[in-house]
Amino acid sequence: MDGLAVPIPRRRSLQRAACGFGAVAFSGLLHAAEAKASGPGAHFPAKAKRVIFLFMQGGPSQADLFDPKEFIQQRHGQPIDSPLSKNVLQVGTEKFLALGTAIPVRPRGNCGMPISDLLPGLASIADEICLLRGMNADNPQHMPAELQLHTGALNDIRPSMGSWISYGLGNENQNLPGFITINPHADVRYHGSAWLPAQHQGTRLTAAASAETPPIENLRNLSRDSAAQRRRLDFLQRQNQRLQQQYPHEQSLQGMIDAMELAFRMQSTTPSLVDLAGETQATLDMYGVGGSDTDRNARACLLARRLSEAGVRFVQVTMGGWDHHGDIRGNLPRLCAQTDRPVAALIRDLRQRGLLDDTLVIWCGEFGRTPWSQDLSGTAPIDSHGREHQPESFCAWMAGGGVKQGLVYGETDHMGYRAISGRVHLHDLHATLLHLLGIDHTRLTWNHIGRDYRLTDVYGSVVHDILQS
Amino acid sequence: MPASPAPAFPAELFPGRRCLRAAGCLLLVAACVPAVAQDTPQFTREQLDFFESRIRPVLAEHCLECHSADSRPLQGGLRLDSRAGVVQGGDSGPAAVPGQPDSSLLLKALRHDGYEMPPAGKLADSIVADFESWIRMGLPDPRTANAPAAQRSIDIAAGREHWAFRPVSDPPVPAVKSADQSLDPIDGFILAELERRGLQPAEEADRYTLLRRVSLDLTGLPPTPEDIASFVADETPKAFETVVDRLLNSRAFAERWARHWLDLTGYADQVGTSNEVFAEHAWRYRDYVIEAFHTDKPWDRFVIEQLAGDLLPITDPAERAAALTATGFLLVGDVEIVNPDKLKLETDHIDFQLQRIGAAFMGMTLGCARCHDHKFDPIALDDYYALAGTLRSTISTRRIDHGIWSGLNVVELPETPEQTALREQALAEHRRRMEELRAEQQRLQQEQSAATGTAEQPAGEQLENIRKRLRQLGTEITHAEFFAPAVPRAFAVQDAAGPVDMPVAIRGNPYAEGRRIPRGVLRVAAWDAGPVMPAGQSGRLELARWLADPRNPLTARVTVNRIWQKLFGEGLVRSVDYFGTRGELPSHPQLLDHLASRFMRSGWSQKSLIRALVLSRTWRQASRGHSATLAVAESIDPENRLLWKMPVRRLEAEAIRDSLLAVSGELQPCAGGPGLPLEYPENTGNLQPKSVNPPSFSLRRYRPEQEFQRTIYLPVVRSAQRGPAELRDLFDFIQPNGISGRRAETIAATQALYLLNNELPRKRAAALAERLAVDASETAARLELLWLRVHGRPITADERRDADDFLQAAGEPAEAWTELCHSLLGSNEFLHRK
Repeated sequence: MDGLAVPIPRRRSLQRAACGFGAVAFSGLLHAAEAKASGPGAHFPAKAKRVIFLFMQGGPSQADLFDPKEFIQQRHGQPIDSPLSKNVLQVGTEKFLALGTAIPVRPRGNCGMPISDLLPGLASIADEICLLRGMNADNPQHMPAELQLHTGALNDIRPSMGSWISYGLGNENQNLPGFITINPHADVRYHGSAWLPAQHQGTRLTAAASAETPPIENLRNLSRDSAAQRRRLDFLQRQNQRLQQQYPHEQSLQGMIDAMELAFRMQSTTPSLVDLAGETQATLDMYGVGGSDTDRNARACLLARRLSEAGVRFVQVTMGGWDHHGDIRGNLPRLCAQTDRPVAALIRDLRQRGLLDDTLVIWCGEFGRTPWSQDLSGTAPIDSHGREHQPESFCAWMAGGGVKQGLVYGETDHMGYRAISGRVHLHDLHATLLHLLGIDHTRLTWNHIGRDYRLTDVYGSVVHDILQS
Repeated sequence: MPASPAPAFPAELFPGRRCLRAAGCLLLVAACVPAVAQDTPQFTREQLDFFESRIRPVLAEHCLECHSADSRPLQGGLRLDSRAGVVQGGDSGPAAVPGQPDSSLLLKALRHDGYEMPPAGKLADSIVADFESWIRMGLPDPRTANAPAAQRSIDIAAGREHWAFRPVSDPPVPAVKSADQSLDPIDGFILAELERRGLQPAEEADRYTLLRRVSLDLTGLPPTPEDIASFVADETPKAFETVVDRLLNSRAFAERWARHWLDLTGYADQVGTSNEVFAEHAWRYRDYVIEAFHTDKPWDRFVIEQLAGDLLPITDPAERAAALTATGFLLVGDVEIVNPDKLKLETDHIDFQLQRIGAAFMGMTLGCARCHDHKFDPIALDDYYALAGTLRSTISTRRIDHGIWSGLNVVELPETPEQTALREQALAEHRRRMEELRAEQQRLQQEQSAATGTAEQPAGEQLENIRKRLRQLGTEITHAEFFAPAVPRAFAVQDAAGPVDMPVAIRGNPYAEGRRIPRGVLRVAAWDAGPVMPAGQSGRLELARWLADPRNPLTARVTVNRIWQKLFGEGLVRSVDYFGTRGELPSHPQLLDHLASRFMRSGWSQKSLIRALVLSRTWRQASRGHSATLAVAESIDPENRLLWKMPVRRLEAEAIRDSLLAVSGELQPCAGGPGLPLEYPENTGNLQPKSVNPPSFSLRRYRPEQEFQRTIYLPVVRSAQRGPAELRDLFDFIQPNGISGRRAETIAATQALYLLNNELPRKRAAALAERLAVDASETAARLELLWLRVHGRPITADERRDADDFLQAAGEPAEAWTELCHSLLGSNEFLHRK
C-alpha cells in the first residue's frame, strides 16, 4: 500500500537535517518522502496556515462559563432526574443535586454571546470568536479523553494532531520544528508522533520565567567553554567524515553530521527565540507578564504568538487545573484569573499584527462538567460542591483562520447534559481543523500495520456551518 | 516502519506483485444485494401527501441527523432516509413492518417502550399517532435515492490462497554457481537471487567489524579489547563459531533479545491510561521473558505459556510460577482500568488482547473485525468473536473495592521451600521494624500532647520537629504495611467460573448483543475444523496449542521473519507485524519457508536459528557492496532487498546506553527485580487502602545502581523522563504501551543535543578517561586502547595524528582526555554498527 496517500511538498532538507529541531527519517521513510516530493501542498486552498491550540486540561465547567440553564438554576441544591445510563458507576454524584452557577453569565459583544463575568477578557473579544456549545466526546476519564482530543483515539498509541499537521503540511520555517508544545503534560503520547516519523513529534518547550530553566533540554554546554565544545565537535565531525567517505550512500550517517551542526547552532538560537526582551512593555502588560496570577500563562501565550509569527505550524499551550471536583465556586475564579487575560491578549495581539485571519486558535478541554454536583466527602454543603466530568456535552471556542466571528453554535438540552443541535464531536473538530488548513481529513492517511490510519479514524465531519464563506 | 512507501524496489524484480494484491481483494469480497429494495409498492396521492406533510418533516427534524447516509457515525446502523432503509432497518432488525405498527421497532422507540427515541425527549402523542397511521398504510414514501449499500461477505476458502495462509513448505535449496560462497542453505537462497541479476555478494567483513557486529546484534554490547585480541588471534576454522556460542550463552544475549519481544507486548511498569498507577508485578513478566530467552525455551512452548500457562498441568513450583507469570502477556501494557462501565472495560480490553495476539503471533490486524468483517483480509466478524470468546471466559481485570477503578488480576505464585524461608525471614524483619516505627510514633505523640498541654509556650521549633517527624512516620508506616513481605504475586489471568461463547457486540457496543459465536480460531489460517473447545475451560489452551502447531501457517513464519529483521535490518517480509493481503510480499518466499520449517524441525529453538543466521556467509558480508557489481546493485536494488551487502544500522536506544556503560567500564550486572523503586516512600503517592483512587507513584528517585544497569531493567512509564531513561525517549524507544515489531530509526537535532550536552555521556566519558589513565600510561597506548574500546578496531595513523593534535590543544590531561572520549562517544561509528 502506498504509505503517503496525500501528495505533500517535501523539502530537500529531509535528507539533510536542516529542518530546525526537526529530524530526518531514513530507511523506508526517506523513499516515501522522495517519491512524493512534487505534489501539491494541500487538497484545496487553505483558510488557515497555522494553529494555536490552547488546551484547557481538566475539563472547564461550561455550565458556569458559557451555558448555564434556568432549569438547574431554579433547582439549585435540589435533586434532579439522572439522565445517566445505569451501567455507569458513580462516585459522589449519587444524589444528583442541581448545582447552579454563582457568577452571572451575560450576553457580550454585538453578537450577544453568553460569557461569564469570570472571563472579562474573553467577553471583550466575543465578536472575534465562535463558541461551540455542542461539543461532545466519548470517555468520561481524563487520560482517554485527553488522548482522544490529542490523537483521535481513546487508548491506542496514535500520532497527535500536531504531528498530523506537521506531517501533512511540512514546515513554513526551515529553522523551526513544525510542532511545538509549550508547558506540556508529561505524557509523551499527547505530543508524540507514534508511528509517524519522529521528526513530526512535538518539541517540548518550557516557557520559563528565569534564565536558570532552559527552554528545551540539553542546551547547556558541559565543556569548559564554547571553544572547547566546538573543538570537541570538530573532532567528532572529522571522525564522522572519515566514516562517511567509506559509506557515501548511508543517509543516516550524513543525517547525523547535519543534526550535530544544527544542535550546535540551537544552543544560541533557542534562547533568543524564547527571549521576550524585544517585546514592548505594552505588549507584556497586555498579556499579564509579571502578574502574580497570569505570569506563567502570559509567557506561554506570548511565546505562542512569537512561534506562530515565525511560521510554526502547530503550537500548543497547556493550561491545567480545570478539574474541579470540589468547591468549584471557590476554585473556578482562580483558574479564570490565571488564563483569561493571557488568552484574550493573544487574540488581540494576533489581530493587531494581521495574523488572526490565517491563524486558527482553538480553546478546548478534554470534556466539560456535569450540571449536577459532586461531593466526594458526602457531607459538604451544596455551595462547596464540585462537578463531575461530562463528555456528553461541553463548550469550546475557535477564533481566526476562516471561522465565523461572533457565532454561538449548538445548543444543549434543558439541563445542559446532552447536545441537541450543532453537535461537534472531537472527530468533527479534527476534521474541521484539517479542512481549514486545506486538508481533506479522509485523505490524510498513514499506513501502519496494514491499515491506512486517519487522525479522525473512520469518523468526523467538517462543521461547515461555522466556516466563513 | 512497516508503513511501506510506493515500491521504490524496481518493478521487474517482483513482477505481478501489485496485480496479486488487487486480485486478493477481489477474491475475498463477494457482493450480495439486499432483497428489500426491489418491490416498492404503489401508493395513492393522499398517502404520499400524508408522508410529505406529517412524516417527512419529523424525520428531518428529529431523526436524520443520526440515521441517514450522511450520519457519522450512523447510529445503530439504521437509515431512515429511504423507504428501503426503514424496511431493512439497522442492527436491531427492521425499523418498521409495513402494515404492522405493533411489530415495528420504530413505533416502540417513539413510545419509549424498550428504546427511547429521539434521545432529546419523547415527541408529542399526536406525532406518534401519525407514525402509527403511516406504518398501517404500508409506509408510503417516495424516497428511493439513497438506498442502503450492498452488504459484503468474506470468502474464507478464497482467502486461503494468500501466500501467508498456505501451508509452510520445505523447498529444496537452489543450486548456485559460486557454491564456495555458500556456508549454509540460507546462502543458497540468497545467492540464487543475486546470481539471477548478475550480482555478487559483498566480501566478507574484516574480523574487527564482524566481532563488533555480532557482539552488538546478539548482546547489545560492544566487544572488549580482550574479546578482540582473542578473536583476532584465533586461527582455527571455528574461531567465529566459538565467539557466537559464547555470546549466545551469555545472559547479555537474553537481556537484549527479551526486549525485542517486549516491544510486541506493550510492556510497562504502569497500568492503564489514567493516573500514575504502578504495575507492581509487571517486572516478573520481563524477568520471565529474559529467563525464557536465556534458556532457549522452545518457541512453541513459549507461545503456549503466553496465552495459557495457567492451564498447563505443571507441578514443579518454579515451573508453575513461570507459566503463570507468562500469561502476563495478556495483561502488561495498556488496560483502561478506570472505565466506570465495566462491561465496556472488559470488551475493550479483550480487543487489546486480540490486537496483541494478532500482531505478535499471526501478523494479522484483528481489531478491525470487532465491528465489521475485515475490509481486505479474510477475517470475519465471526472469527473475531470466536477468538474473543476464549478471553471473555477469562478473568483479566477485577473491580477494586472502592471507587470506580479496576485492577489487573493478580495471582499468588507457588514458592519453592527456599523462597518460603527467605520470605519468613523478611517478614520477621518487617515485624521488628513495624514495632520500632510504632513505638517511635507513640513516644512522639506523647511528647507532642505533653508539649501542647503545658501552660508555658514550648520551644516552637521543637514542637514543629515532632510534628514533622510524626507526619513522616505516618507515611513510613503506611508504606511499610503496604509493601510488607508477601507471597510472590504476578499479573496473570485465570479462567472464569463459567466459560461462555461471546455474543457479537453490534458495532462494538457490548450492550447491543447479536448472535453468540462458538469459541474457535482464525478460520482462514486453520487446516481443519479447528480445535474442539472444552465445556469447562476458556479454550485459551486450545487456541494456544493451535497457534503453536507446526501446521499453523503463520506462527513460525512470523517468528523467523522477526528474527531475520533483527539481524538484517529488514524482514524478508518488511511489514513484520502484518502478513495480510495489504502487507508486503516476501522478498525470498522460499527462504522464508525454509527458515520456518527448519525452525520447527530444530524444536523451535531460537538460538539455533540465530546461530545459523549469523554464521551464514550472507550475514558475514561487509557493508559495502562488491566492487565488481556495486554500480549495478545500487541502480537495480537500491534498497538492498536482495542482500548484496550488510546494511549499516543505527543502534537502538538500549544498545546506545548499554554500550556507553560498557566502554566506560561502569556497567553493573542486574539479576532483575522491580524496575520502579517503590521501596522509597517518596516514589509512592497515595497508598491508602480505602481511597477511591488506586495506589499511585511518582518517579522521583532511582536506585543509585540503576544508573549503571542495563536499560531493559529501567522502569517503563508514560511520562517524559529525566535521568537514566531519558535517552530512551529520544532514540526511538517504542512509546510505552505501543506495539511494534520494528522500531522507527530517526535522526533529530534533539538527539545530537543529548549527545553533545547531556550529563550521561559526559559522565561515561569521564569514567572512560580515568580508566584509560589506569590501564595505560603512554598516550600512544592509551589511544590504541580507546579506539579498541569505543570502535572495536585499532586506531589509524591519520586518526592518531588528529587525536594527538586534539590532546595538545585541549588543555590539561584529565580534561583533554575526557573531551576526547566524549567526542568519540557521540560519533557515528560508535552509534552505528556496520
